[in-house]
Amino acid sequence: MKRRLSFIFILFLLIFVFHADAQIKSPDTYVLAYYRTVQTIDPGASYDVAGSCKIWNLYETLVFFDGPSTDKFVPLLATKVPTLKNGGISPDGKTYTFTIRKGVKFHEGGELTAEDVVYSFKRNMILDPDGGPMWMVLEALTGHGSTREKETGKIIEGVFEKIDKAIEAKGDQVILHLPKPYPPLMSILCYASSSILDKEWAISKGCWDGDINNAAKYNNPKPGSEPLQKIANGTGAYRLKLWEPAKELALERFEGYWGPKPKIKTAIFKYVKEWSTRKLMLQNADADRVVVDTTYVPEVRAMKGLKLFEVPQLNFTAGMFCRRINPTGNTNIGSGKLDGNGIPADFFSDINVRKAFYHAFDRETYKKDVFHGQVVAPTSPLIQGLPYHKNVAVYEFDLKKAAEYMKKAWDGQVWEKGFKMVVTYNTGNVMREAAAKMLAENIMSLNPKFQIEIRNVEWKDYVVQVRQFQYPIFLSGWGADYADPHNFVRPFMHSEGYYGKYMALKNEEIDKLCDEGIQTVDPKKREKVYGRLQQIWYEDAIGIPLYQQVIVRAYRDYVKGYVPNPMFTDDNEIVKQLRKE
Amino acid sequence: MLAYILRRILLLALVLFGVSVLIFGILMTFSPERRAATFVTSPQQVEDIPKIIKQFGLDEPFYIQYFRWVREVAKGNMGWSLVASRPVTEAFWTYFPITLEMNLFAAPIVILFGIWLGTISGIHKDTWIDHSSRIMAIVGWSLPTFLFALVMLMIFYGYFDLFSPGILSDRLNMFIHDNPGKFYRYTKLYTMDGILNGRFDITLDALAHLVLPVMTYVIVVVALNMRVMRSGMIEELSKDYVITARAKGADKRTVNLKHARRNALLPVITVAGQLLALSMEGSIAVEVVFNRHGVGWWLAESATQLDMPVLMCICLFMGLVFVATNLTLDILYAYIDPRIRLT
Repeated sequence: MKRRLSFIFILFLLIFVFHADAQIKSPDTYVLAYYRTVQTIDPGASYDVAGSCKIWNLYETLVFFDGPSTDKFVPLLATKVPTLKNGGISPDGKTYTFTIRKGVKFHEGGELTAEDVVYSFKRNMILDPDGGPMWMVLEALTGHGSTREKETGKIIEGVFEKIDKAIEAKGDQVILHLPKPYPPLMSILCYASSSILDKEWAISKGCWDGDINNAAKYNNPKPGSEPLQKIANGTGAYRLKLWEPAKELALERFEGYWGPKPKIKTAIFKYVKEWSTRKLMLQNADADRVVVDTTYVPEVRAMKGLKLFEVPQLNFTAGMFCRRINPTGNTNIGSGKLDGNGIPADFFSDINVRKAFYHAFDRETYKKDVFHGQVVAPTSPLIQGLPYHKNVAVYEFDLKKAAEYMKKAWDGQVWEKGFKMVVTYNTGNVMREAAAKMLAENIMSLNPKFQIEIRNVEWKDYVVQVRQFQYPIFLSGWGADYADPHNFVRPFMHSEGYYGKYMALKNEEIDKLCDEGIQTVDPKKREKVYGRLQQIWYEDAIGIPLYQQVIVRAYRDYVKGYVPNPMFTDDNEIVKQLRKE
Repeated sequence: MLAYILRRILLLALVLFGVSVLIFGILMTFSPERRAATFVTSPQQVEDIPKIIKQFGLDEPFYIQYFRWVREVAKGNMGWSLVASRPVTEAFWTYFPITLEMNLFAAPIVILFGIWLGTISGIHKDTWIDHSSRIMAIVGWSLPTFLFALVMLMIFYGYFDLFSPGILSDRLNMFIHDNPGKFYRYTKLYTMDGILNGRFDITLDALAHLVLPVMTYVIVVVALNMRVMRSGMIEELSKDYVITARAKGADKRTVNLKHARRNALLPVITVAGQLLALSMEGSIAVEVVFNRHGVGWWLAESATQLDMPVLMCICLFMGLVFVATNLTLDILYAYIDPRIRLT
């Protein structure tokens, strides 16, 4: 027995000794633990923050955000940022000229040319997979948001010819031809989908062959069958070392990089789902940064040896009223009538109901209790950090006013008969859960005949139900694709916008203003347009602005060089700017 | 015996067909929109749902979709896993060795430790040994695995900085990746491959990463085995043949361990076999907490994200495992108890 015990003891000791040795932390390796899976690293297909973060390190774009700014740019693969002043943008705002940097190498050895740039834009637009990011570039360069028709999925006639003519190379210059001025273009050119590929290499890997007549063959591949799904050859400061999907992705410094040599040699992005595990990895310095959800911020604040950055994000979440609920088989609206046991399908078409709900939401308590003050309380979808943002009026928390509006609503029937409805939020989102509960409790306190039940629904079921007009109120958000008001006011306010449509919002003035705002590059005109739109959000009580997130990035304190930028979510890391000291 | 085995193997095809129809049918109860939403990760992509439905034919009748799936499977294409971002078959052979490696260490401990503890407990019925082992078993069985795994992680890794989560340390993982010619993945099990390549540091590192997951799994699962063994022992020890043997003066050790334990083993084999089969599906809590990306983790992620091809693959695999386990158990019964004849 003693011999057996001794053997076990020695085995444990061996493991311990070995393990202690394995704990030496490398000064030139950076580890980020996060929990969102990367589907693809093909720049033409990736449309999630986890994927775009990796692409930004592997590939480069013509221009990029200038440090913390979202509307100032620095040249990357272009030699300078085109402006009206330097002649890079034509006076009519429809032609952009970029001079391509010389002496830039791709990871596999090819040299960057203007032809590579032209090919990359065309190839990515031709690829245009369902659910992909290419709508942005397509909208700017061809006027179509897709290469295919929305309902039938058939290729739009002449779209590939438009793509072909939209961009051309002249010597070391690349010229973009826009069908009409498109103010957010520079911001779109910073996005991962505008990354530059090596033409010869891409073709050799099975990408579009360069002949526009064959474009249809390369259009809309099934998920995972895009040729660059798991391989990369960019000009970025890092090359792909290893990618085990849903486990880890490692980058290695590209020694032939044209810019300053990055300090970090290897960067490892680890997929760690469980928060406690991520937290302990940060504590033991096995991770240099971990992704922290809002709920866990107090925990990292209490930890030692960390440097925290609070970064406001370009995202907006609101409680939105559906004005034409689908009553078929809908259990969220009870009887479907204003009889005390339900609500009619057009319950929220009465502005008094909307104003009453708005007045019943306690913004201050919500900010203090749920976010511990670490949030921006927005007033409209045109949030802080976007050009032309202004703080417009809000319906302050006032239950008396809420009761007054309820008494006026539906000619007093709402107050007299009462109502019953279900408010839902997506499972696991504690911020939305708190908002739904606060709103429901305050409304129910107005009149005992008001009954609201709170339910949670898994996010993917939630979006499907929203699309089917099933929810009287839905709590949902939007993150920036590019830093321009158009990317927010259109989805939330236009009758054809993503949320505008599902709120059954129909306001001709809004639609006209949204279209005007995107069609002009004149800052004064745009300011007027977006100022008015923000005012309408308040006047029409379209929805209750809930929060603009401020994320906390928790680094070990020896990590230096991070520059906060609201465009980058907490999954993002521009590794070349970091160093460990 | 051979005819019996052949018959059971033929039955396997029927079982797999039944399982596939059942699971496919259940998944079909989700609307085409909901199934298309699997491909969506942000509101921006939601507008493409109708196009995704068309692209994959998700609105076609059940039988068409089912036969399309069968046709693809027959070609060896189990589909694409969104969770794993790669083909299902490739993903399976990546995740399965991770689960298998843990089971290879955990299963013998669960079985042997359970038998040993159950035997001692049964022999020393109602003594302090029995009470303390039963309390331990009950506590282990009742503990939520997830919570217990977290406690283990916090004590050993959080407090002592021992046994870090994951499968292998970054340094060695990068070494293996950088030197594909120097380190062959013969078995895909790091502990074995380390030995086969003469890199014992890799084996030890992999073992260090296995300590907490195996300990957690064993403590939680051993209780069932132990309790079945204990009841078996108590029952056997009260039988006439044991009293006779004792009366004849046979020594205690022979009576307990040779006569009674062998007869008490039959139900334990059933339980252990089922536990072993179940463990092939991975322990979700253990794999998630200790960041071991095996089949359990993959299954949990796929179930929450409705990754249909993965769910189909794992269900079929589990069907296969259970049929094979039952067959093995039947053969084992015949071996242990000569009175059982397989016809």
